[in-house]
Amino acid sequence: MSDQHKDINEDIRWAKINEDVLRSMENPRMGYWVSVVVCLALLSLAVIAEVYQYNTGMGVANLNWPQMWGLYIATFIFWIGMSHSGTLLSAILHITHADWRKPIYRFAEAMTTFTLMTAGLFPIIHLGRLWNMYWVLPYYSDRGIWPNFRSPLVWDAFAIGTYLTSSALFLYIGSIPDLAICRDNARGWRKKLYTALSLGWRGDDRQWRHFRKAYLIMACFLIPLAVSVHSIVSSDFAMSIMPGWHVTTFPPYFVAGALYSGCAGIITLFVLLRYYFRFEDYMTLPILDKTCKLTFAIAMVWTYLNLVEFSSVWYGHDMVAKELLIDKFTGTYSPYFWAMLFLGSVVPFTMAFEKIRRSISAMFVISILLNIGMWLDRWMIVGPTLSASYEPFAFSVSWPSWVQWFIVIGSFGWFGLLFLVFVKVIPSVSMYEVKEMIFHRRHIAHKDIASVMHRRAGDAKPSGEAGLEGVKS
Amino acid sequence: MKKARILALFCNFDEAFAAISDIRHYKVPGVSVDDVTVISPIEHPEIEEVLGERPAHVPKFTLVGALCGSTIGFIFLAASEANFTVQPQGGKPVIPLPSNIVITYEMLILFSVFFTLAGLMIGARLLRKRKSLYSEKVTLDQVGIEMELEEKYVEPIKKLFRQHQVLEIREEVIQ
Amino acid sequence: MSLENILTNWSKYRKGAEEGGFHDYEHMWGRVIDLNKCTGCSACVVACYAENNLAVVGKDRFADGHAMHWLRIERYWDEPDLGEGRVAEFQHHGASFLPMHCQQCNAATCEPVCPVAATYHTPDGLNAQVYNRCIGSRYCSNNCPYRLRYFNFFSYYESSWPAPLHMQLNPDLTVRDKGVMEKCTFCVQRIRAVKDKAKMQDRKVLDGEVQPACVQTCPTSAMTFGDILDMHSPGKGVENTQAAALWRKHQVELGKAKQVKQDPELRGYRVLEGLNTDPKVLFLERVREV
Repeated sequence: MSDQHKDINEDIRWAKINEDVLRSMENPRMGYWVSVVVCLALLSLAVIAEVYQYNTGMGVANLNWPQMWGLYIATFIFWIGMSHSGTLLSAILHITHADWRKPIYRFAEAMTTFTLMTAGLFPIIHLGRLWNMYWVLPYYSDRGIWPNFRSPLVWDAFAIGTYLTSSALFLYIGSIPDLAICRDNARGWRKKLYTALSLGWRGDDRQWRHFRKAYLIMACFLIPLAVSVHSIVSSDFAMSIMPGWHVTTFPPYFVAGALYSGCAGIITLFVLLRYYFRFEDYMTLPILDKTCKLTFAIAMVWTYLNLVEFSSVWYGHDMVAKELLIDKFTGTYSPYFWAMLFLGSVVPFTMAFEKIRRSISAMFVISILLNIGMWLDRWMIVGPTLSASYEPFAFSVSWPSWVQWFIVIGSFGWFGLLFLVFVKVIPSVSMYEVKEMIFHRRHIAHKDIASVMHRRAGDAKPSGEAGLEGVKS
Repeated sequence: MKKARILALFCNFDEAFAAISDIRHYKVPGVSVDDVTVISPIEHPEIEEVLGERPAHVPKFTLVGALCGSTIGFIFLAASEANFTVQPQGGKPVIPLPSNIVITYEMLILFSVFFTLAGLMIGARLLRKRKSLYSEKVTLDQVGIEMELEEKYVEPIKKLFRQHQVLEIREEVIQ
Repeated sequence: MSLENILTNWSKYRKGAEEGGFHDYEHMWGRVIDLNKCTGCSACVVACYAENNLAVVGKDRFADGHAMHWLRIERYWDEPDLGEGRVAEFQHHGASFLPMHCQQCNAATCEPVCPVAATYHTPDGLNAQVYNRCIGSRYCSNNCPYRLRYFNFFSYYESSWPAPLHMQLNPDLTVRDKGVMEKCTFCVQRIRAVKDKAKMQDRKVLDGEVQPACVQTCPTSAMTFGDILDMHSPGKGVENTQAAALWRKHQVELGKAKQVKQDPELRGYRVLEGLNTDPKVLFLERVREV
């Protein structure tokens, strides 16, 4: 397998694609139920913690003055970051015609939707009076009261609402042709479900034409939207006045970090799906290889923006921000800060080696390490500024209590649960796009040409023919 | 006059392409390429070229959505802020432009996406009952050509399709 | 209708603090704290607890950072020139004290970040907190460079005032429940009462008539409270107050991030003035013998 060079075997029968993918949606095996139980257990931890916190007050989370935000907001940013993966793969790579995205974009898009559904819970959980959370929404009230549109938290509500709606619609629209396939192959209640979901799709030229246009337009809208969403999340910090938060480079830094953790998340799910559903024919090693290269590039962007932040603070004259930066490197939080720098900037260098990029198990571990690094990054944004800012009297450090940890852990259970439902309801590999990919590759890149095109530096030259011209003749 | 609907299935795009191309060149007098509907498992821009210019109006919907979103978004924000003057805050103006631009931007995208979706639903004639003449093979790996014809053209068309190795022809009488 | 409202009043709605803001101020309550006079006795803190129904959280919760002291006396041992005390890190002449309560900034950083507009600027120049509207996002506290906002991390009304102590609660203001942010109000209930009284008697509010609990209690009269509006809009509010006189004397002006003083001997400063939050509490620096 490891000497596979083509992104996908162009000789797969189309019927086999349908079979393989539909098989993944059939009756679950034991492993699926085990995963469901594990996710439910994790989620119930969060529910217990949340009920306790709701009844007793935010103090049980060991939030205090001045540590008013803790892991909740850090994890919120983390999940929002994860959501950028789907947009990257499905929208950016779609409009740049990178067709290797096709076998893996569907689950990445689903990841976008579900991570947003997870992320959206955190600002609600962290509210002191969460039963009044709807006050953030702009609705007409008899008292003439409106939310404060100046607040970045309200921007968050708008941005996340828009992003969740758009990405869910994007996921849905993109899978309509696949839902039609499901409809044609399903029986019983599933047939009814997919008949409704596929909206009467039959694949005539009018539908494809409009579909192509609509999908492209949605992709074009999703890219600036994704950028704006994480810029707005960064505004929660960048718009404030506090040292370590009031940083000009935060919007691009957050976006880069988001794409980074999103890509790492894709790799993790890639490995899991490939292993669990035996998707070796679609989630191939060359595609993993390409995804890793992409992740590596983004990791370097993230590292660069980190350095920009450090140097602009260092050479600026804001002594408070400078002291805070030094404190991050040497103070109470320094082990976590160094761990974040190591995991975020040093570990990705392993992806410079092709052997590692093509090793399923190594990439599984590395992708999880990268995401731990990114989670620490978000914590290192929220935590240190709160523990040491302008007011020396308010310098203090506090650590999250079990309530916070339970809710953070439980959010992974919630995400996992949503994802587990997804893989059984919507095909996690886009069947029609894999067919397209195969079709176009077989037509555009003729087999012999392909053998030349896919030759890599170390390989021997193909015997006889000199190059492309030779093959064409 | 009686009309019939026929659905011919081909095993790949090349043969369907050739068949449509023949219809385009009026190999069957009286039948034009505008009557042809291609049903395919994947999107295939090349085969749509042989069908001739067929418009897709989705971008117009999107444009309307974007305009609606930005104007409604901004006016909504400014109006609600102007009616809530009891709370000027942090030395900022009552109608702060930077934050309104941020939210207007989101509204623009949200409305555009909704209108694009509406454009897709309307343009692609989704949300309707499917025609009874349908083969599940087109979502698998075959290409279908669907035509609505007057009865007298059915035989010549079938003949044409057979020249291009048609796999299967289904027909039904309508009206 | 709304559109008409926007178009006709556009220029008014676009006025930021630099151009005077939207408000036509009635008063601008400010104060002066002379650190030379402050002995750090904490009587003001006690007065604040009594007046404003502040929860007494207990030793453990205080250590956890759940205290609700709207007014706190900060102690600093940051002048090693004053000689070593018995413990090396503490200076010989005792601590420097800094009473800190909400600075009632005119360009408050806490206000624009509140998602539900629970904190806002009143025509009295106060930075008000609407407890009923607060949803507890705690963004305001995070964006307060002075860290002068306190959050109800628990419900304290049972543990803090066990019967019959609840009888001593001030009826003029609420007891806050969990999940709500609160902070110094300059004893807004007293300001309200004085304003109502003056209105009933059809006269202007007099200088010194409003006395927040801390000012009233201070044994050394280190704090001066008053209306400082006529400093930049003469003829408005309470005129020629003691507080305004001190602001003028020490050449500190509202609306400036950096004060230009002719006389370097003047002691007036505002905390973290450079952040352009425009606080309304003037501190007079402590002068110490070396």
